[in-house]
Amino acid sequence: MNTKYGLPEKVIFCKKCVISNQRPSSTVEFKHTKNDKKETIAFREDGVCDACRYTEYKDRGINWKTREKELIKLCDKYKGKNGYYDCIVPGSGGKDSSYTAHILKYKYGMNPLTVTWAPHLYTDIGWKNFTNWSHIGGLDNVLFTPNGIAHRLLTRLAFENLLHPFQPFIIGQKYSGPKFALLYKIPLIFYGEYGAEYGNKIKENEVPTISSKFYANDVTPDKLFLGGVSAKSLLADKKLSLNDLNPYLPIKTKEAQKMDIQMHSLGYYLKWDPQECYYYASQNTSFQANTERTEGSYSKYSSIDDKVDPFHYYTTLIKFGIGRATYDAAQEIRNRKITREEGVTLVKRYDTEFPNKYFLEFLDYIGISKDKFWKLVNAGRSPHLWKKVNGKEWQLRHQVS
Amino acid sequence: MKKVRIIPRLDIKGPNVVKGIHCEGLRIVGDPTELAVKYYGDGADELLCMDIVASLYQRNFDFNILKSLAQNIFIPITIGGGIRSINDINNALRMGADKVAINTYAIKNPRFIKEAAKKFGCQCIVLSIEAKKNSAKTWEAYTDGGRERTGVDAIKWAKKAISLGVGEIIITSIDNDGTKKGYDDELIKGITTISPIPVIVHGGASDMGSFRKVAQEYNPDGLSAASVFHYNNFGIKDLKSYLNKNNVAIRI
Amino acid sequence: MNKKIAIIDYGVGNLYSVKKALDKFSGNVFITEEPEKLLSADAIILPGVGSFQAGIEGLRIRNLIQPVKKFASTGKPILGICLGAQLLLSKGYEFGTFNGLGIIPGKVIRFPELKERIPHIGWNGIQRSNPGIENQKLKVNAWKGTILNSVKEDSDVYFVHSYMLRPDKKGDVLAVTKYGDYEFCSTIRKNNIYGCQFHPEKSGDVGLKIIENFIKLI
Repeated sequence: MNTKYGLPEKVIFCKKCVISNQRPSSTVEFKHTKNDKKETIAFREDGVCDACRYTEYKDRGINWKTREKELIKLCDKYKGKNGYYDCIVPGSGGKDSSYTAHILKYKYGMNPLTVTWAPHLYTDIGWKNFTNWSHIGGLDNVLFTPNGIAHRLLTRLAFENLLHPFQPFIIGQKYSGPKFALLYKIPLIFYGEYGAEYGNKIKENEVPTISSKFYANDVTPDKLFLGGVSAKSLLADKKLSLNDLNPYLPIKTKEAQKMDIQMHSLGYYLKWDPQECYYYASQNTSFQANTERTEGSYSKYSSIDDKVDPFHYYTTLIKFGIGRATYDAAQEIRNRKITREEGVTLVKRYDTEFPNKYFLEFLDYIGISKDKFWKLVNAGRSPHLWKKVNGKEWQLRHQVS
Repeated sequence: MKKVRIIPRLDIKGPNVVKGIHCEGLRIVGDPTELAVKYYGDGADELLCMDIVASLYQRNFDFNILKSLAQNIFIPITIGGGIRSINDINNALRMGADKVAINTYAIKNPRFIKEAAKKFGCQCIVLSIEAKKNSAKTWEAYTDGGRERTGVDAIKWAKKAISLGVGEIIITSIDNDGTKKGYDDELIKGITTISPIPVIVHGGASDMGSFRKVAQEYNPDGLSAASVFHYNNFGIKDLKSYLNKNNVAIRI
Repeated sequence: MNKKIAIIDYGVGNLYSVKKALDKFSGNVFITEEPEKLLSADAIILPGVGSFQAGIEGLRIRNLIQPVKKFASTGKPILGICLGAQLLLSKGYEFGTFNGLGIIPGKVIRFPELKERIPHIGWNGIQRSNPGIENQKLKVNAWKGTILNSVKEDSDVYFVHSYMLRPDKKGDVLAVTKYGDYEFCSTIRKNNIYGCQFHPEKSGDVGLKIIENFIKLI
């Protein structure tokens, strides 16, 4: 059977959590085109995914006391002496970045500058949590909002060509840390969770740093792709100018080397538990969960600040057969907050739910019609994952059990 | 003179007692039977045991846990979570519950309250409301463990349920739940002024003074709390001694 | 103790709670809905959670009304709890008018309109009823030898009810309770037949003492 996106034909679900082998690993977004073959999460022979494998290691194979000592040593090396910032913490004021910035400042004595790449469309709760991060959490922040005309155009192109509306956000978020590091001359950057938590390749896991290849590149517009379209053609068609491209470009490798930019994951040093991040943020930065559960899931505290975010998860469901509930449940199963059985019930109950709440706003934001939306979505379903029932309704061929 | 009740609340999920903040992020804090025995020994007037994920997972309260928990306890136990039929109530009562609390199913099927009250007596049927403040200074009722909006005004719903025969109300402030920032005064005022039936309040208990304040200002029938007890901020015995000294009618 | 204590299952009781309280003091407690087993017991308990109508109907369809009345005439101890206590009286007025067992003359009526909230739910004190100044001596000894023996005056026990006991004879009132300014009968007694409006099996140590006292009567 044909598969889209280069996905494995056979669909397997992890025996421990609920993720499937269709889950894509992180992509190098500025090279991302329509016909790319996706790298997916690896599974062992016993049917356990890499993220669960990492969790086992996290629970048993790591001496967290030693890791914390390494963090303290790192902090001592970079700690600012004259009141200037000594590290950058990119984030949104969600539970993870709230935890990361706050604990670095108040427990480890660092002086972080938090840096935010704005969501496409702020939710009320997202804005509240973002401002509380500063008002209650006591952190300095720089909020960068990219020019909306370019941003919306790229979002639309990404949706049309890649069924990936969140791409502009992901790109900006990834590069804003290093960009501000250069601008403010602060070489140390801290992200929160460690890639391996979600199953990114295990062999990248022995070091706390994220390789510069993910954020530094000398790519020129002719080799650069945004929204699945080559930047060169975007410039040629006058859809965007060179100025507009700035926020979406990675920093140059030479610049990264010259300043010796270091990107570390806090999750390497301190045992990462998103629910505990929630508790910490709740108590220290007045982070509040959403009042109702997020569409497509049962959760109330994860990724609640962008109205476009539900469509990121929905298109993930369309392309890879797994939705938001799967992602939330998988994480909570690994961190032993829920059992696999409970996770399966939640996935079955919520995974395929359509995010109605911000639908019209989303369509308006990217400037496409409902019809076009559905046309594109349906064209993005891989036959090995979806089948049509009664000639009308789309149904997943496989769901976790 | 009737005494105000101090009621520790056990949120049960699977085999554990859990506690969340704003009904989210359920952290394991203990074993149901151990905590029940501890609170009973410490002078609790009643126990509230809610399976807070039963409706979310569309499953039933685990009545075996109830039986085990009730084993050495000789104070009333109210259970709730996933109660959806007369049979469920019957099972609960047979396995050690004295009262049964209903939220999700009752909002979706209000007639069920009438049916249950008729069969078991209204004093056995408790309405559980999870209330979240709206911008309009009213409260909306939530279901499924504080995750689903209903669009139903919490106070109006309480009134309706009272007319259908419910015997007692437990009202939880989702805004204050797990935060230890104090009970939700306005919500408590709102419900106690309109309710001709007993009211138990929950959500936000912070220090002993927060119990006293609510007891004296709003005269609820029961003060329920979880975090302060589960996290050992103070014991029930000390709390009651403090309340007694401050002229709150309390069972010593 | 080898005395047989039967807890009557008539479809509306909180049987488990009652049984485990009794189990603390006796090794031969059983739950039954069979008339023969009931009659063969040395003492019976009528537990109670439910409406008067459901209660009396539950007894009726199990053919237990006559056996309970017969048991009462033997002089062996009976303990009615809450609804069980109410059923001992002659008539009940919840959801209509119904005949009770009539073992103790009286009726079961709803609380009048009070400032206080109804149902009466919570811990409240039991007191000796006040037979008048001349009978103070009687008052002091009123609880001796009964299930309230050595229970401290005004001890808190757990109530949960909207309807209350109103025995016809003052002499059948063993204990009263004050709800706000209103005083009502919280325990009835006629010889060895007792009815507690409150739940001794849910009243902590005080309640367990009362249950222990009941068993001692056997």
